[in-house]
Amino acid sequence: MELTHELREHAGLQWVLERLSPLSPFGKTLARALRWYGPGQEEALEEEFDNIALAMELWGGGDAALRGVTRQLPLFHDIRGSLDREPGVPFDLVELFEVKHFLVTLEQLTQAYAQMPQMKGLIFPDLGEAMELMDPEGRRLPTFSIVNSYHNDLAPLRAEKGKLEKAIRMTQEDKRGPLLEKRRVLAVREDQLELEVRQMLTEQLMTWRARFLAAMDTLGRLDLIVAKAKLALRFHCVRPELTQEKAVTLQGVLHPQVAEDLRERGEEFTPLDLDLGKGCTVITGANMGGKTVSLRSTVLSLLLCQCGFFVFAQKAVLPLFHRVELILADSGPGAGGLSSFGKEVHLLDKLLRETRKQFFFVALDEFARGTNPQEGAALARALVRHLGRQTCVALMTTHYDGVSDVAGAHYQVAGLVRDIQGDEGDDPRRRIARRMDYRLLPAPPGAPCPRDALRVCRLLKLDDTLMELFQADL
Amino acid sequence: MELLLAPLVGDVSPVTVIGLCKNAGKTTAMRRLMAELGEERLALTSVGRDGERTDLVTGTEKPDLYLKEGDLFATARGMLTLCDATLEVVDLTDVMTPLGPVAIFRTLSDGYVQLAGPSAAGQLGPLTARFMELGAQRVLIDGAAGRKSLAGAGVEGAALLCTGASLDRDMALVVAETAHTCWLFARKMPEHPGLRSALAGEERRFALFTLEGEPVDLPLDEGGNPKWNKLPRKPLALWAAGGITDPLLKTLARRGAATTLVTQDATHVLAGRSALELFLRNGGALHVRRELTIAAVAANPWSAYGWHFEPEPFISALRQAIDLPVVNVKEE
Repeated sequence: MELTHELREHAGLQWVLERLSPLSPFGKTLARALRWYGPGQEEALEEEFDNIALAMELWGGGDAALRGVTRQLPLFHDIRGSLDREPGVPFDLVELFEVKHFLVTLEQLTQAYAQMPQMKGLIFPDLGEAMELMDPEGRRLPTFSIVNSYHNDLAPLRAEKGKLEKAIRMTQEDKRGPLLEKRRVLAVREDQLELEVRQMLTEQLMTWRARFLAAMDTLGRLDLIVAKAKLALRFHCVRPELTQEKAVTLQGVLHPQVAEDLRERGEEFTPLDLDLGKGCTVITGANMGGKTVSLRSTVLSLLLCQCGFFVFAQKAVLPLFHRVELILADSGPGAGGLSSFGKEVHLLDKLLRETRKQFFFVALDEFARGTNPQEGAALARALVRHLGRQTCVALMTTHYDGVSDVAGAHYQVAGLVRDIQGDEGDDPRRRIARRMDYRLLPAPPGAPCPRDALRVCRLLKLDDTLMELFQADL
Repeated sequence: MELLLAPLVGDVSPVTVIGLCKNAGKTTAMRRLMAELGEERLALTSVGRDGERTDLVTGTEKPDLYLKEGDLFATARGMLTLCDATLEVVDLTDVMTPLGPVAIFRTLSDGYVQLAGPSAAGQLGPLTARFMELGAQRVLIDGAAGRKSLAGAGVEGAALLCTGASLDRDMALVVAETAHTCWLFARKMPEHPGLRSALAGEERRFALFTLEGEPVDLPLDEGGNPKWNKLPRKPLALWAAGGITDPLLKTLARRGAATTLVTQDATHVLAGRSALELFLRNGGALHVRRELTIAAVAANPWSAYGWHFEPEPFISALRQAIDLPVVNVKEE
């Protein structure tokens, strides 16, 4: 499945990825194009989770070998570009340096890696022969030059050239001409010999191309696992339990981006509990009661899980979907001349067409709110019924009455339940937050949507005259 | 060899060789300095790449620096084919140039090399530090040529300023331009400690202060440019982060009160001599946040364009106009 920019932004996945810090160019590449674990790939995903759990344990315990591994990771240069060549085109000196630098760094990393408990499926290919070729003297220095042992003619030629250069040094500047010319001829010959050596080295190295690429892939995966583990430790994430049931269970789930915003304002995120069965679950509740945040938290958890991350919750029991989608009512300017309603319908239609015979998850934020309330409510009800017949798990927020009647399950935001006096001078947002119980409580199907708009407007200090007219009209 | 330049640069590192114009004798000065410092382990790089080193007869490029075994240098990967010393690749920097990334090499034999280093002045500092880590005793930088291209290229250490007949046919003008550049490089930090500390962390394009460093409100127009006619008519200090141009100096000269203008360093002054004179005559003063040093002026009486000055009068005119050592690098 494709993780579009819009989905990453809306779900908050982008925010999480910005806090993921792979250290090597290979890990960075993998983090930009995350692997998606779909249905049938449970085993591979469990392996990834096992590896992350192991890395968390080692990193948290200050394991020296893992520290040794992570010290090497930032030292790697990306040499994939150099390897993408015809074997007949010789590496230049700098490229050969990079190959040797790669091998020396890899050797140090694998030595450290051998000291720690092995991660599953992460085995480094043997590049010992390449190392011998690039470091014939076995000094393991991270520098490279074409040493005499590469070609029989090099040593005598360089000795002769060296003698000449000494003579040039001893000669007055204006009398160096003939000597410099002699030296030039030798330098050209040396260049030819070095070219032969570079061609030989390139041909040899390119026979191990697949191993080099495999090593870089393994490095990237190892790097990414450690980065995921550090992220999970930092945010106290939990390992998802994978289930074959067509149901999503989240306990104590939160949205880290929203939680951080709240913390900066001195408020706290209320973790949510959600049990979503097959079909569509509906959430109703007061404005500013966190309905959209609950959608985003759920979608983020699913996306993270299926990208092989631990999730921001206390417990998560999740199936693997073919596709996870989030359709927000006001998701920016409508593409191609569509209104927000038009866009939402278009996205839904596209999803339904593309997921035939697939198991998908969709979260819809106040679907059909952009059209007249009577038709909108009917459309929302129809969608809930329709989703109930699909192989999917869906979650929809709404202000329309009668939608929850046809839903598989119904949650309501506890709402503006706290009676507080004497904070009239405070910031309206804080006054609402103080009175709001953000918990999601199971509600019977058909329970009417709360009528909180008036109170919310009052707390937001809407103009008095307008409020009077509003109240009189209710 | 008579030591001409080595005593003038002393122990300073890095030494940046800059030219007042193309063909002012930068390469000659660089070679001379390298020869005089022959016992030291040198590390060399350049600011970007001088595109004027093509052999006019053959159309091919001729490397012009001959290094001794054991020296270090940094150049773009694309320059490798123009180097004929036996080389060891020591490190690869993350500086990218149109000719590929800049790598650091050690020469395993004497030989010619071609320099094409970082083009941004900010990248020279880390490179210089890396050279020292790798065992260099002194860093030499082939700097920019032409006063406009010096902008922002002010580095630590000292500069060797090359000037010569290639700048203009008129010797008096060459002397005056050289003296002007030396005067700019001699600008000091403001004396008042209050103003100095006020300027230390300044990041705005323009900022206004009293001469003691108290902030003064600077009215800006919609484009973010100062409304110069709204400035209070009393002596003030103005910080300008960007280039100091003719129009800026002329505006300040006419504002009706003395201005102490503070710029990053001497290389940010792009204005010509006449605008600067006008500014100074009206009570203006010019200061810098970072002081730069010219160790000496290397003069070349020969131009690349067919004319030349008489060496004796040229050198003595320069010596009269400039309070720094002046040498003729062609002199044996």
